[in-house]
Amino acid sequence: MNVDLSMFERFAVTFQPGDIIFCEYEPGDNFYLIQSGRVQIVKILGDIEKNIDILYPGEIFGEMAILEEAPRSATVVAIDKVKALEFNRENFEVLMKGNPQIALKLLRLFTKRIYDQKRRFMTLTLSNVEARVADVFLMLAENQVVEDPDEDERTFSATVEDVAHWAGISYGESKKVLNHFAGQRRVEIYQDKIVVKNINDFQRFVNSQRKKQKGED
Amino acid sequence: MPKALKYHANSVVYFKGDTNDRIYILQSGKVSLNYNDIETGQDIHELINTGEFFGVKSALGRYPREETAVVLSDATMVIFSVPEFEQFAMQNTRIIMKMLKVFSNQLRRMHKQVRNLISSSSDGIDPEEGLFKIGQYYMNVGKYHQALYAFRRYITYYPSGNYSSEATGMIDQAEQRLQGGGGTPPSPRNTTKEAQEELSETAKKYYNAVSLYSQENYSAALKEFQEIIKAQQSDEYVAKSHFEYGRCLLGLEKYQECIQHFSQMIKHYPKHPDLRDALIYVGQCNEKLGENERAKSFYKKVIAMSSENEVVYRKAKRALRQVEDKK
Repeated sequence: MNVDLSMFERFAVTFQPGDIIFCEYEPGDNFYLIQSGRVQIVKILGDIEKNIDILYPGEIFGEMAILEEAPRSATVVAIDKVKALEFNRENFEVLMKGNPQIALKLLRLFTKRIYDQKRRFMTLTLSNVEARVADVFLMLAENQVVEDPDEDERTFSATVEDVAHWAGISYGESKKVLNHFAGQRRVEIYQDKIVVKNINDFQRFVNSQRKKQKGED
Repeated sequence: MPKALKYHANSVVYFKGDTNDRIYILQSGKVSLNYNDIETGQDIHELINTGEFFGVKSALGRYPREETAVVLSDATMVIFSVPEFEQFAMQNTRIIMKMLKVFSNQLRRMHKQVRNLISSSSDGIDPEEGLFKIGQYYMNVGKYHQALYAFRRYITYYPSGNYSSEATGMIDQAEQRLQGGGGTPPSPRNTTKEAQEELSETAKKYYNAVSLYSQENYSAALKEFQEIIKAQQSDEYVAKSHFEYGRCLLGLEKYQECIQHFSQMIKHYPKHPDLRDALIYVGQCNEKLGENERAKSFYKKVIAMSSENEVVYRKAKRALRQVEDKK
């Protein structure tokens, strides 16, 4: 994307390394387009700070503020000295008119977010906890770019805690299910990764659970 | 060029699960989008109005169709490929705006549905308490700068909120910590009064130096860190200062010295929490000195020591790519 943003200079804001750009739970009315530097998106869960993502120049964050002033869903911290363009609903239309590429980029971002949320929802509708955990790996596999799609064994850089988050279960439950799978030699759990021995086996398992659930409804 | 096509009643434009990159506008006739509601499983038939787009999300997002589009009575529609649609939309920003609103509405609804299914404690916390707790978290881990931000925001939004007096107190404490107003740390247990003061002096000095560093005043920061190292008051801050000292040398473009400093630090603290970052800096120094091969070996080492989801892994990957692109 080659965009001339010089006309938006008046919307530019700068942040120093370590500066919070916005905090989770704050009412949000601005969104940002990074021009230089990186930002980290984090969520604070109890006494840990969990890294959600790192964004680079050209990327957009805080975009949910376009519609309404709902609380922010995560905290954003500047990693480097960050220069960003700050937009709100008032100047957003100016931006769109002057720069429809950015609008399109947002549109594409939204389609991806909607899809991801729907996928997550599908996982959560499974009533069987083991099926949920298996489905989390299927979801991760769908987003994975693999060299050999016929390879049954897949490695995910996920932790027990990540699985718990995606499956909507407690850490303890996640650990229990994963240990159970490990006992059956269906997964191997390491400190920083989880190996699924046969992803197709999980696919069959989830499919059969979905069918069963449909019959029960 | 987008083309207009006629469809007969009872034909199917696309099936659920299909993948293609076509986007449609209904010009005349009747088309229904059929799908099951993900929450209730109910069969939904959504009628498309003439002049309305459909098939946009799955085409733009490159994922399978989520509904089946059935023609109810003879219809004409204009078909766009994704690039054609993008070109069209760029000249009609109103359309994008409208779609953005529809999409963000859908997204909100999805978020809500997902939240309803999760009963975990971290969701559903009220924003006031949530914001205060974030401040507390940063305070507890000694990130006063960030804590200040959160508490100040709290006071702005909730001037007479449940935690407003606590937040005000926290702001004072955090400010003292940052500026060196002689405040005592909140609750270091099992230490004598004296030790407490020493610790806070060191901490103050350290954060002051970090602030100098972030203002790119490397020589002043370097001096401060050097003094902390010399004083040997707090093991924690001495170790931290060793790392920062090296970063200052890099900022001052003293590459050779920087490499030496970090090598010594690594020897002395083989388990330093910032070890891998230090190795990346050593790589960068080597690059500056024209030792690209050596730089690469440092980046590779960091990559081997890290897992893919770590920040430092991505840093090293990027640095490696940049050296490789140089040639």
